[in-house]
Amino acid sequence: MTPPHETAVITPAMVAALCAIVGTDGVIAGDDELLVYECDAYTLEKHLPGVVVLPRSTEEVAAVVKLCAEHHLPIIPRGAGTSLSGTVLAVTGGVMIALTRMNRVLEVDYRNRRALVEAGCVNAWVTNAVKSQGLFYAPDPSSQSACTIGGNVGTNSGGPHTLKYGVTTNHVLGYEMVLPDGEVVWLGTTPDGGEDVDGYDLRGAAIGSEGMFGVVTRVLVRLIRAPQAFKTLLGVFETVDDASQAVSDIIGAGIVPGALEMMDQLITQAVEAAYHFGFPLDAGAVLIIELDGLAASLDKQAAQVVEICRKNRARDVRIAKDDQERAELWKCRKRAFGAIGRLSPNFITQDGVVPRSKLPEMMRFIQRCSEEYGLRIPNVFHAGDGNLHPLILYDERDPDQVRRALAVSDDI
Amino acid sequence: MNLRPANKDEVAGLLAAAHVKRARIGRLDLGAMCRVLEHAPEDMTVTVEAGITLAALQQQLAPRRQWLPIDPPLADRLSISDLISGNISGPRRFGFGTVRDHLLGVQVALADGRLVRSGGKVVKNVAGFDVMKLFIGGEGSLGIIVEATFKLLPLPETEHFVARRCDSVAEARRIIDDVLDSPLTPSVLDLHNVGCEPGDFQVVAGFSGAYEDVDWQLAQASGLGFIESTTLDYERVFWNQPAATVQRHSVLPSRVTEVIGELGGMEFVARAGNGIVYHRGSTSTPAASSIGALARRLKETFDPNGVLPSITGA
Ligand SMILES: Cc1cc2nc3c(=O)[nH]c(=O)nc-3n(C[C@H](O)[C@H](O)[C@H](O)COP(=O)(O)OP(=O)(O)OC[C@H]3O[C@@H](n4cnc5c(N)ncnc54)[C@H](O)[C@@H]3O)c2cc1C
Repeated sequence: MTPPHETAVITPAMVAALCAIVGTDGVIAGDDELLVYECDAYTLEKHLPGVVVLPRSTEEVAAVVKLCAEHHLPIIPRGAGTSLSGTVLAVTGGVMIALTRMNRVLEVDYRNRRALVEAGCVNAWVTNAVKSQGLFYAPDPSSQSACTIGGNVGTNSGGPHTLKYGVTTNHVLGYEMVLPDGEVVWLGTTPDGGEDVDGYDLRGAAIGSEGMFGVVTRVLVRLIRAPQAFKTLLGVFETVDDASQAVSDIIGAGIVPGALEMMDQLITQAVEAAYHFGFPLDAGAVLIIELDGLAASLDKQAAQVVEICRKNRARDVRIAKDDQERAELWKCRKRAFGAIGRLSPNFITQDGVVPRSKLPEMMRFIQRCSEEYGLRIPNVFHAGDGNLHPLILYDERDPDQVRRALAVSDDI
Repeated sequence: MNLRPANKDEVAGLLAAAHVKRARIGRLDLGAMCRVLEHAPEDMTVTVEAGITLAALQQQLAPRRQWLPIDPPLADRLSISDLISGNISGPRRFGFGTVRDHLLGVQVALADGRLVRSGGKVVKNVAGFDVMKLFIGGEGSLGIIVEATFKLLPLPETEHFVARRCDSVAEARRIIDDVLDSPLTPSVLDLHNVGCEPGDFQVVAGFSGAYEDVDWQLAQASGLGFIESTTLDYERVFWNQPAATVQRHSVLPSRVTEVIGELGGMEFVARAGNGIVYHRGSTSTPAASSIGALARRLKETFDPNGVLPSITGA
């Protein structure tokens, strides 16, 4: 899928040929209609794809890809377009293949704890389909109510619960992929096959490759048993440093929380203004610490976590009193990006990982960058993994801010 | 010819020379490359030279109450390089997963003698094409792993194994299903007939973790008929036999008992929760193979001069 350097031209004959494959209602070629697809959540650069097709089956995807290969047109797969790194830009025009119509959960195999889903299936729908049976799909990117399993495979997504459960590659057993020449292959474990597959782990190698190797059409995911119990704590700290040290100490004590998230003061204020959870507005940082697993040991672990927070000068440590409060807390965390709108019209973010022990240092560095470039940079991130995504706030109507935003983003 | 390089540069040198001569390299003994290069207990990561045995690594991690939760047979003879290249696992894979769930990065000597890194040292690494995965289970056909970085787990506070005997495949199936339907979260769920009366089987469940959790699970398990306390000795017995090579079936976990029914009394060990059956019979349906043409292209790209061994199933 190497795009040619000049912009590809989509001829009316090409549009007609695509319509013949996916039907006229499956092709979007007018400029007005294409506007929705001109960028993903990374809004700094915008390009229009030549045409967007919305196939309904693997066969249709394969036929479209084959046609494009014959005409040397670049193709680009698209899920929900929530990716933040600008990967879904149709840089050279070409044909965007949107998987949104292939969105079904096809089969749930309860005994073997697997589900077969179409690539356009929304992440959260998988868990919704199996939770009554006590199972769930572990990777939970904050965008999970919109992003697709195919997009998760494209970006090897993680989420707050990655700390304990791993990223997409740890939960995708196999998938069907349409290669750039239109051939359809299955990589990894087949729906009725065993976990161990001889030969190279091509499935693993292509997860996270951002659609470069082909279009994923169906995915076999691993389901896991839902934890018996949860204990979700909110630690309130005066400084980011103290909170970071608490993170290190919790991990160092041999506790493996299900999730361990940090929000700094700016983001806490924005989230509080948007969702009124009751976060303190003057705290330097808050930690969301979720313990999960069997109920028997959770009280002991929670007591240990509280003690560690206090030792690191936590002002307050609260424990979610019930499932509803826990759900509220996570809703705030997962919609934190959405609350940024209150602080600034635009933002860009970087996704980087540092060793946990380097967190305090990295946070101080980001703070210095923020001062130096005169831009606010709130932080909400997966502290337990050392996975940062500083949010650089700017206003796209001010060219100087755009310039500074790009510069500081590069520095970070 | 057995070569024993002292460090990764020597490995690279041997490969470079073979590459020029277009000669297949003999088996390398990495035993001299056995240092732990960096253990960061607070980050729960470790970087090692790939010749260290798994047992030696675990021994060095234990004082910090950490471990690499992979438990293949014969760990005192298994180098990290072979562990990764063979994607070898043990009974605890039901609870802890396999190599690919714990490996963060590798350094590899490629067939032409270049030393390259793939993956990283941080706990999560997702950018770009995940070349590292090709070396897991790659049987050393694309390069020789010389260093590896893993993420670690705290050692479980305690661990207990319990068994339930049964005398038919159908009963074994019911017992396994009962465990899977219960709230138990076993780290081991095995079925075997090692040392059993002919026609008898043993279902083994293992629980690892906090004392409170393990106690609670043992009580639950005894309600399911797991009343006999046991060990993983059957593993040692099974793998220590000098007899014929071990065959592996990888099937849908729900089909494990079916496969065992077909073995006709032969000795076996099965990871009932994962669908893996090991035995020493002659017949073995090969595990599904990832598509041949792509695999051959990879091999040709990585090793055009045929310096390294080829891989089965490609
Ligand atoms: C508010 C918000 C919060 C987020 N939180 C997280 C988070 O916590 N963790 C995280 O990892 N990410 C997060 N993201 C980023 C993004 O949601 C994920 O990367 C997600 O996996 C993208 O899924 P998508 O369906 O939107 O894919 P898209 O954005 O449409 O595509 C992503 C990439 O995958 C490729 N692709 C899409 N579908 C296919 C397919 N079927 N076959 C082959 N390639 C395909 C695309 O070409 C593109 O390169 C967040 C984004 C937002 C806006």
